[in-house]
Amino acid sequence: MSLRLELLPLLLAVTLASFACRAGGFCLMRFVNVTPRIQAALKAAPLAVMVGIIVPAAVRGGLAEWLGLAVAAIVMRLARRDLVAALSGVATVALSRLMLA
Amino acid sequence: MPRYPWREHNKTCRRVTADPDVNFSAPGLRRGYIAAQPLALGVFIYGVTFGLLAVNAGLSILEAMLMSATVYSGSAQTATVSGLAAGAGIGASVATILMLNARYLLYGAALRPWLGQASAAQAYSSLYLLGDSNWVLAMKAHANGEADAGFIFGSGIAMFIPWVGGTLLGSLANEWVADPKVLGLDFLLVAFCTAMGMGLVKSRHDFQPVGVAVVIALIVDRFAPGGWTIVAAGLAGALSAFARKEDPT
Repeated sequence: MSLRLELLPLLLAVTLASFACRAGGFCLMRFVNVTPRIQAALKAAPLAVMVGIIVPAAVRGGLAEWLGLAVAAIVMRLARRDLVAALSGVATVALSRLMLA
Repeated sequence: MPRYPWREHNKTCRRVTADPDVNFSAPGLRRGYIAAQPLALGVFIYGVTFGLLAVNAGLSILEAMLMSATVYSGSAQTATVSGLAAGAGIGASVATILMLNARYLLYGAALRPWLGQASAAQAYSSLYLLGDSNWVLAMKAHANGEADAGFIFGSGIAMFIPWVGGTLLGSLANEWVADPKVLGLDFLLVAFCTAMGMGLVKSRHDFQPVGVAVVIALIVDRFAPGGWTIVAAGLAGALSAFARKEDPT
């Protein structure tokens, strides 16, 4: 349990950067009129962000990762529970890596 | 039908609402806290993963926990810690955080119509506690009729506690788990996004932004891999929905 003093300025800087992102979008929207188009854009953003997280993993992944993606998607369709589906995907990846290694 | 019907709606809401706190109440907070519990285990496991990585990268247990409590973003922290191990300074660390957390600009903007009804202190403390999964959860709840912005704060707390707690356990457990990859833990965020994304696709209106996001993500990932892919895909999907001519509702 130690804290290096020379690390504190860096921790403060990354904290401020992180909070600037959290507060920035919310702040800016005060000056933007929310038209139906903007509303549609904001509604589409979460799915698109998820695509941005999934695609690089799929591109870099091998058979294990592809199986994990498929299992997570199928379990979600069947069970409709986020955590169950996600953990099934993770378990699939872990097992496949073990078997395929 | 007025051109911007929600404006009328907002006016009515403000007129009826005498107490400004009614849009941010303890029962709403409790609903959010309870609704987020199924996600807490995943966040805890992710926190453990970060704790493992952080101590491996040379951070002390206290430093790892401090980072989890302040930066509070799995992907950004993971990237920053790897950078630190490779000798990155303040500038590179800040750039990493800005890139990986730029998606929070979209999250915050999407929350504005709802969270903007709460006081500034309530809104910014909710934003401090905002994470990927509780944002998706809150947006889903709001689409299903949840009006109390306390829900966002409550679900944020439900994520914050296991995140910092998980970091503690992970830093302590560093000695006996050799490689988080063996457990597939590096795949956790991706698996969560897949599951939640499947749950979010409701009509064919959702296909076009998703398709555009996939194409842009593939291109950006090919030529500028790293945190930009998430930002570019999010913006592309949002722009494609914005540009569509047909009625989005």
